[in-house]
Amino acid sequence: MDALLQQLERFSEVLSVSRTNHVSTWGPETVRRALQWARYLRQVYRRFGSHGRIRAALERRLRIHWGPEGPKSGLTSFRALGRGDVLLSLNLLQNRALGDAAGRALLQQLFPGAGTGDADAEALQTRLVRLARRRAALLLPGLLEDPVLLTQAQLLLGRLQEAGDPSGWLGRLWTRAPRVHFLQVMAVALLQPLEELGPSEEIHVLVRWLLEQSEVLAAFCRLPAGLLTSIAERHPALSRAYLVLLTDWGQKLHYDLQEGAWVSADSQDVPWEELLRRFQSLSQAPPPLKDEVLTLLESCKARDGNFEVAGLSVWTDLLLDL
Amino acid sequence: MAQNFTNLTSDCQYWLQKLSALDQASTLETQKDTCLHLPQFQEFLRQMYEALKEMDSNTAMERFPTIGQLLAKTCSNPFVLAYDESQKFLIQCLCCLINKEPQNSGDSKLNSWIRGLLSHILSAFRFNIKEFDLFTQGLGYEPVDYCPALLKNMVLSLVSKLRESHLNGFNTRRRMAPERVASLSQVCIPLVTLPDFEPLVEALLIYHGHEPQEVLCPAFFKAVNEAFLLKKISLPTSAVVSLWLRHLPSLEKAVLHLFTKLISSERNCLRRIECFIKDSLLPQAACHPAIFRVVDEMFRFALMETDGALEVLAAVQVFTRCFVEALEKENKQLKFALKTYFPHISPSLTAVLLQHPRDTPQGCHHQLLQHVSLMLRKAVEDQACGSCRDPFESWFLFIHFGGWADLAAEHLLRSAVEAPAAAEAPVAALLWLLAFYYRPLDSHQQRAQTMVEMEAVLSRLRFLTLSRSSPISAEELRAAAGEDSHEDPMQPVCGRLIRHLLLNFLLWVPAGHAAAHDTITLMACTDEISHEITGFLDQTLYRWDHLCTEAPRPAKLARELLQELRARV
Repeated sequence: MDALLQQLERFSEVLSVSRTNHVSTWGPETVRRALQWARYLRQVYRRFGSHGRIRAALERRLRIHWGPEGPKSGLTSFRALGRGDVLLSLNLLQNRALGDAAGRALLQQLFPGAGTGDADAEALQTRLVRLARRRAALLLPGLLEDPVLLTQAQLLLGRLQEAGDPSGWLGRLWTRAPRVHFLQVMAVALLQPLEELGPSEEIHVLVRWLLEQSEVLAAFCRLPAGLLTSIAERHPALSRAYLVLLTDWGQKLHYDLQEGAWVSADSQDVPWEELLRRFQSLSQAPPPLKDEVLTLLESCKARDGNFEVAGLSVWTDLLLDL
Repeated sequence: MAQNFTNLTSDCQYWLQKLSALDQASTLETQKDTCLHLPQFQEFLRQMYEALKEMDSNTAMERFPTIGQLLAKTCSNPFVLAYDESQKFLIQCLCCLINKEPQNSGDSKLNSWIRGLLSHILSAFRFNIKEFDLFTQGLGYEPVDYCPALLKNMVLSLVSKLRESHLNGFNTRRRMAPERVASLSQVCIPLVTLPDFEPLVEALLIYHGHEPQEVLCPAFFKAVNEAFLLKKISLPTSAVVSLWLRHLPSLEKAVLHLFTKLISSERNCLRRIECFIKDSLLPQAACHPAIFRVVDEMFRFALMETDGALEVLAAVQVFTRCFVEALEKENKQLKFALKTYFPHISPSLTAVLLQHPRDTPQGCHHQLLQHVSLMLRKAVEDQACGSCRDPFESWFLFIHFGGWADLAAEHLLRSAVEAPAAAEAPVAALLWLLAFYYRPLDSHQQRAQTMVEMEAVLSRLRFLTLSRSSPISAEELRAAAGEDSHEDPMQPVCGRLIRHLLLNFLLWVPAGHAAAHDTITLMACTDEISHEITGFLDQTLYRWDHLCTEAPRPAKLARELLQELRARV
């Protein structure tokens, strides 16, 4: 086991190095050995994929390679072992620092042609050819639409499963990633089905993290109304937090007598129209969410003095417009 | 070889121009044109690879000066890269251009340029979405990690959109515009054989818009059909049926494909023919009458073109058997009326022929055969006195269920020789059935004459078995069948009918067993007759198997004879 862990470590280093200028020192033999190594680890992956204990030990060791900002360029997860050979091949192929002789050896290894009798080599060749075909498929016009977000949501949940400290990692991702995009991906992730074999645990991690981060939560709740309603239907804890935020936002509005409309003092505040849109969307949700929303509005209205005339309480006016 | 190279060189030129033209305008029209040329271009790439792998890099560049330019262009055409095995041949061609022993900086430059192209094919993903790339990098994923997942989601999303359009045809908001479906089918052409796309191909085939015309492009149907026939994809039966219903050329091609397979397979082996037929999915698809009618019409042409070749007859019968089986499996109650399958024939006659003899006790087969004979005779003779269709239609229907003729011959022979049963057998009806099966276009008198001749043969055969002490010889049998004396070269069909009776005698009458081997040797004097006898034996064994006929001795003998004949061919 120790030997295996060491091998893993070494290969992970090789994989990291394969992206650097250091490969200029590699000769044909180095390339061949590195690929042999990758193939061996692929066998390990296939052999121990269903072997819980060994797999867990390997995963623990691999996590050491996560920097503070998440996985780096080496082997990042047990699953990556299965395609270490492809990753290495692509790294080397793209690396301009690789010398000519080493480059030729690489191509000979990757594309030996047909009928070499080396089943492993031919299998790798087939996988690379399949990759080229899939990539081309993605480039064809008119095919790619919204699945981009869904795919990224699945990738996000996948990483959460592998992360040792998911909350910390999410926080660091938040500081680096494009924010609106991050929020959209998160929303799609939260809408993934909660199946027994699915990523339900990771989805709960996401919900907890969101609830702890008031800044992120506030930004998240500004995503389109319909999306938020769907998420509120699915996750009661988020629904409560969302309603609290909506109440805060409502209280910040004041009535402008001259304009005859509810206005916000600060340009950062949520305008009346948006607030109305959000409540409209929520009130069209199936019960119990719909009932909760109406109860909330009623109680806010009562707290303000239960006026029935427009222009005195934002809650009265919201209820009137619903 | 030199000639080949010349051709390849000019092909290089041609494709270079073609690809450049296609690059310049990327409209639906050029997409169509590209898709049209994909198979041809793939074949060119394959040939190019075969040529390049035999020479070194310098020679290759000298012989095909534009090859580098052409391959580089190909690397940026996603249609070609996505098509079937084109990307494989392209990669292999590029690898052949690598200079194994670079002498100067030019050679090294060439090598690194090729590496760059390969790297481009394999790893350059550009979605024109900055956030996407940034975010994925943030998660620490490489393209190779998410490419399959992205494809899968893309396919599923399109599938569910198509299904929604299909279900909510009148809900225009959610509906996929027909033009969009059309262009989707266009773009899918190169991807038909990529397993990730199978659900989308299936959804497109099953998709029915609400437009009166077909929205999917014909080239899509053609590509799917070809991939299906070459077993590059597997599709559920419902999707295949939909394909053949929507695109007649594909159905015709599928039938021709089956014919080609049957022709090139070993002669006289019904088991194998059955496998091919079932494998084609045509019997299952033929449960839809529109498909059945096309297939049946093609069988009819094959039969007429070959002057009723025995192999075609046998294929029609096996096909019909598989079709009836599929029909029973699909639905106990017929979904479509029999008339929709056989429009020229009265449904009551079709219903009688459709009956399976196995469902009736053996003792009642006489009555069944008599019924079949009477119904057919009525249909044929009514028509003869001036009604609409010619007897050919009745005969064409009858040969679908040729097992009845074989059963009639068997009964006729056994009842003629095994005296006790004779009283029960409706001899005249059986004689008529056989005479019609072998000579459908005869006049009334001609048929009566054939029946008389048959009867004479039968009584001579019976006479041979009566009160003998010595075994029957092969010569005696041939004389009784009249094969040696008045062999009429003008009437090969009649000869076939007599041989049919004689072979049944050999199998069923104990006195005939001993002489069977010699008689067959004598009979099989030409290749054609030898094939005919082989076919008869194979068909008989196949039929007994399906009827669960208990005849251990005849079956054993038939197998031996078959083996002998096959060894001789």
